[in-house]
Amino acid sequence: MKKRGRGVACGWYGIARTAAMDRAAVWVELDDGGTVKIATGVTEIGEGILTGLCQIAAHEMGVRPDDIVLADNDTARVPEAAHAGATRMTYMIGNAVAIGCREAMFKFKKAMGDYWGVDPNSIHAENREVWVENSPTMKMSMAEATHHLKKDKGIVIVGSGLFTSAHTPLNPDNGEATPWQSYVFGAQIAEVEVDLDTGEVQVLGVWAAHDVGKVVNPQQVEGQIEGGIVMGVGHALMEEYTQHQGQVTTPGFAKYILPTTLDIPNIHSVLLTEPDPKTPLGVKGIGEPCITPTAPAIINAIYDAVGVRITSLPATPEKVLAGILKQKRVIKPKVEQEEFVTAE
Amino acid sequence: MSKLHSSMSDKKIGEHPLVEITATVNGRMVSRSVPNHYRLIDFVREELHLTGNKEGCGAGECGTCSMFVDGVLVKSCLMPVQKIMNATVETVDDLDRDAGRTVLQQAFHKCGSSQCGYCIPGMVMAATSLLRKMPNPDREQIKEGLGGNICRCTGYQKIIDAVELARDVINKKIPDSSLEENLLEPVMGARTPRLDAPGKVTGSVKYAADMVLPNMLHMSVLRSPHAYAKIVSIDASAALVIPGVEVVLTSADVPGIDNFGVFIEDQPIMARDYVRYTGEAVAAVAAETLDLAIAATKLIKVEYEVLDGVFDPHLAIKDGAPQLHDFAKNNITKHTKIRKGDVEEGFKQADLIVEETYQTAKIEHAYLEPEAGLAYVESDGCVTVHSPSQNITHHRHALAKILGRPINKVRMIMSTVGGGFGGKEDMIYQGMLALAAIKSRRPVRYVFTREESFIASAKRHPFSIQYKMGLKKNGKIVATKMVMISDGGAYAMSTPGVMNKSAILGPGPYQLENVWVDAIGVYTNNTPSGAMRAFGAFQSEFATEAHLDLCAEKLKMDPIQLRMMNLMRDGATTHTRQKIDRVLAVDCLNAVVDLAGWDQGAPNRHGSGKESRKDIGQSGIRQSCTLGTHLKQGEKV
Amino acid sequence: MLTYDRYVVASSLAEVFDILDAHPASRILAGATDILPWARYGRAGDVHLASVIDISKIPEFKYIRQSGDDLSFGAMTTIADFQNNAILREHAPVLAQCAVWFADDQIREQATVGGNVVNASPAGDSQPALLALNASVKLIRRENGNILERSIPLGEFIHGPGKTAMLHKELVLGFECDSMRACGSAYEKVGHRRSLVISTVCLAVIAKAASDKHSLADIRIGIGAVGPVPKRLVDLEKALIGKEITSELVHQIAEQASEFVNSRSRHEYRREVLVNFVERGIISAINQSGITVVRFGEEQIYV
Repeated sequence: MKKRGRGVACGWYGIARTAAMDRAAVWVELDDGGTVKIATGVTEIGEGILTGLCQIAAHEMGVRPDDIVLADNDTARVPEAAHAGATRMTYMIGNAVAIGCREAMFKFKKAMGDYWGVDPNSIHAENREVWVENSPTMKMSMAEATHHLKKDKGIVIVGSGLFTSAHTPLNPDNGEATPWQSYVFGAQIAEVEVDLDTGEVQVLGVWAAHDVGKVVNPQQVEGQIEGGIVMGVGHALMEEYTQHQGQVTTPGFAKYILPTTLDIPNIHSVLLTEPDPKTPLGVKGIGEPCITPTAPAIINAIYDAVGVRITSLPATPEKVLAGILKQKRVIKPKVEQEEFVTAE
Repeated sequence: MSKLHSSMSDKKIGEHPLVEITATVNGRMVSRSVPNHYRLIDFVREELHLTGNKEGCGAGECGTCSMFVDGVLVKSCLMPVQKIMNATVETVDDLDRDAGRTVLQQAFHKCGSSQCGYCIPGMVMAATSLLRKMPNPDREQIKEGLGGNICRCTGYQKIIDAVELARDVINKKIPDSSLEENLLEPVMGARTPRLDAPGKVTGSVKYAADMVLPNMLHMSVLRSPHAYAKIVSIDASAALVIPGVEVVLTSADVPGIDNFGVFIEDQPIMARDYVRYTGEAVAAVAAETLDLAIAATKLIKVEYEVLDGVFDPHLAIKDGAPQLHDFAKNNITKHTKIRKGDVEEGFKQADLIVEETYQTAKIEHAYLEPEAGLAYVESDGCVTVHSPSQNITHHRHALAKILGRPINKVRMIMSTVGGGFGGKEDMIYQGMLALAAIKSRRPVRYVFTREESFIASAKRHPFSIQYKMGLKKNGKIVATKMVMISDGGAYAMSTPGVMNKSAILGPGPYQLENVWVDAIGVYTNNTPSGAMRAFGAFQSEFATEAHLDLCAEKLKMDPIQLRMMNLMRDGATTHTRQKIDRVLAVDCLNAVVDLAGWDQGAPNRHGSGKESRKDIGQSGIRQSCTLGTHLKQGEKV
Repeated sequence: MLTYDRYVVASSLAEVFDILDAHPASRILAGATDILPWARYGRAGDVHLASVIDISKIPEFKYIRQSGDDLSFGAMTTIADFQNNAILREHAPVLAQCAVWFADDQIREQATVGGNVVNASPAGDSQPALLALNASVKLIRRENGNILERSIPLGEFIHGPGKTAMLHKELVLGFECDSMRACGSAYEKVGHRRSLVISTVCLAVIAKAASDKHSLADIRIGIGAVGPVPKRLVDLEKALIGKEITSELVHQIAEQASEFVNSRSRHEYRREVLVNFVERGIISAINQSGITVVRFGEEQIYV
């Protein structure tokens, strides 16, 4: 027999380094062929920052994401952009890239304005073309423009960008601080099915809403949410690293259980995209905020389904079934005085 | 720990009998002589340098090594190389037969299926196998076909979407153009397919373990079998005399100030005087072959004086517990406090006080790429470490100090990372690599086994949270008190940051006048706890959200109503007394309710005899998984 | 890591016995899917073997045959064969039901029934299904140049975790069991997730309806992972044969299964789940066999 239930949880998360100044710097060059070279601490760990930065740069520089060349993250070759974590990459490095590109474009438009004899503000660049507003003749490709500036004018367009996020440290006595400039709020609902024969919990659906600020690439944001929620399912139901007197009893994937394709819920997400007012791009982040509400939403859904409150993660089948049995005994007192097995 | 047959004493240390293997790999005949203990994955990666498929675990659990042998998909880490004699092998490296990318690979690219990319070659192989056997699988069949491949980044959705897309293109249900990028979209806000996807779906991008340099040595590390012990002596003489063993390192070889740490620099690159957790590095060997390095490591004699360790933070914090670090009284790494208003006064005002204790588990990051790195010294004397480090800036600082070098004579390059989640922020092996490269004057590579990665690298902090909440009858929270104790393990790693974050965010996005939080991170002789995705906040917010549900039940209130009563609004003051102008907490809650639907009422109301919920079982959820439903339809798998 | 002095892929039975005579401690290797994960940190650690004989290319071990009520298959039959081979699908569908729970697609192609049985893990997934089929293990050895065969019922072959009745220099040739075509069958398993997982409890049931369609002519219940060895619940089976099948009867009989749990850990959990699995498995198998019965306390029929 199976029972279903639903649970809800809210969450919030701060963006970038906690209670400490955060920084990221970038160099930008408009290069041959109308391509763009960006040097910064690109720390692609799978979340998609590489593509996101290329989109941002392409947008700012009037080219396409394929035209962007991002230098390797190398302490001897690029300026510092600090670490890959704290949901800081799009926020810190994205903004720094935008700022660096804007400086480069400012110089580019000034140089093109000199060349065409027009106000730089009337110059636009998009999709590999640069042109003057309302002029049928004053336009060329970004490739031609770069070539002309370099060859005829000796101008190489370079820019640099710095983005700083001002956070204050915690007061040691009462924690007073401005730990972050920006926060991401969220809420998730989970629907589960509990098998009363085995205590197994299957998560059938998770719905998520997060306020992520302006979205650079919705496919990537979804990817983070989907990955974070499935990681949350693992935390809620199956993952536990154990040691006995310091010896590791879960030294590999046979004992340390991760979710497979057969364990995942259908995931639906809605993104609230009100731009963050404190940054040039209006972006925030999603990598970590998406994982905090999942486990409690599942645990609350288990309670809703079978009246068993799991207070210790993970909610393994053993714990859930023990809870179900305990309830049964409370309702129909039986003679046997058995001890429960608490999870090992 | 190896059981040696008597004939082994005739052989040289670290040498293994060779076996001659002839096979056809990716359409090309090969004939090679390799150590007879090689598995197919070793043959493909180390001998043929086809590095697309990976060894994520070596135990058949993760699927990164999946490849075809005589047309059948197998886990190559479980196949002794002798089994491929005269067989045909197909790896991910040439799946497209030089024609660009297969339809499936293009679909993976289009759908955004690759994130870190480490599982993707195996996934592509598993999906290829599935579509070859079953050209028209439904979504459930696709899931079962991929059930032996683990992904830690994507949550699988977009991988499954890609297989469906490929299926439909191959079966001509939709046109080929469905695989193309929509170039008409404006760039900002576009679903631009990942620019690094082509390298990932073909397995051509190189991760650290895929890299080789000429004249490269291989590293093996001797790790402590004890959780807590004094190192009395280390005798590496038996290892050093073996030809081909170039370097043996211990902490005695470290020239500079030997400690690193994201917040507190308390960890040496190899154990110094004491080992404080099982798996801590004690010595490192760099040798001509990996087999030699592993054999040499076993010849290093370490004398330990085993000490009584402490494994429970509640005990470690007491007087009389072993003091694990001189500077940390009562083994307290970090105690973060939040004090706002007056909780005791708040509890007096409460109509209902609810107390409960919550526990979260110690969690493994389980990135599919085990740690690995390559170090070398350049001609100008700059030592370079190429590794999947999440913080090369910080690591360069630490390494320069540890090696006693100017900072611009140390170079850290970040290789493509096969998943991080915070677990690759600590500099737990780059120091040994750099030192070995300096001492040997040759490039050195180190690749962790999955088990090494488990026992030696950071884990998510487990938390024990005592929760006390006071509420009014209408659901308004009048006091929140959270006392949290966490096992920080043997070294600090990110413990101070985790305590801070857990305390600042723990009480949740709620407008609270009276808040008391203690977050106490404690040293123990367990595996160190460090940064992991949403560090501290995952644990403390879990407790808050579970506790609110408990309170909702006791108040017979709908849990969403309870939250609405308390969520922050614009202009809210946080628990650290920061004013936030714009707060979208209520908007998010409303949005998810609109998306999912929600039948109002207290939790588990049908348990107390009331009507069942009406929002269950609607479209949008998946079916309950029952394996093998296809069997009843008589389909071949 | 697993290392060896010699690893030979034998091409004939004679070669296997020759090597065994020369190196009596040789390890026989079929699919390698148990031994390679075992020789790693956290389990056996590094293991060095003097001699390994890979039998995967020897034709004598690869057969699947059926004749009348008898079914037989060789030791090198893979778990994938359980799902894909037409003879096995028809005559022993419980094996396919077991296979979908066994590891994953890749490992099923590599893992063999011979290896799974000889490994004799208490959590072995195939054993309950094989026991339900009344499987016997056919063993061969060579003495003084003669090949000698003997057959042992599977229940007597497995003595304990990792321990079997195999003699020195003896090999498993294959298995013989009952053809159970046109019977109902069910396989239940629980672990900590839905794929590629070690069993906490596993069970196989095969049921054959009597001609009156109200009672059972035959029922077999095999259990695993709840004790050091897999078992047949013979007493429970006897209690079900020949009686009018009702929800109450099945429920009562299932309750008795709890006493067969003999595990060192998670005892309470296994007792509860085994009882539920026995009941659920019996109901499912019986419904498939043509007798309609609802599970006690529920309203819908399920197969």
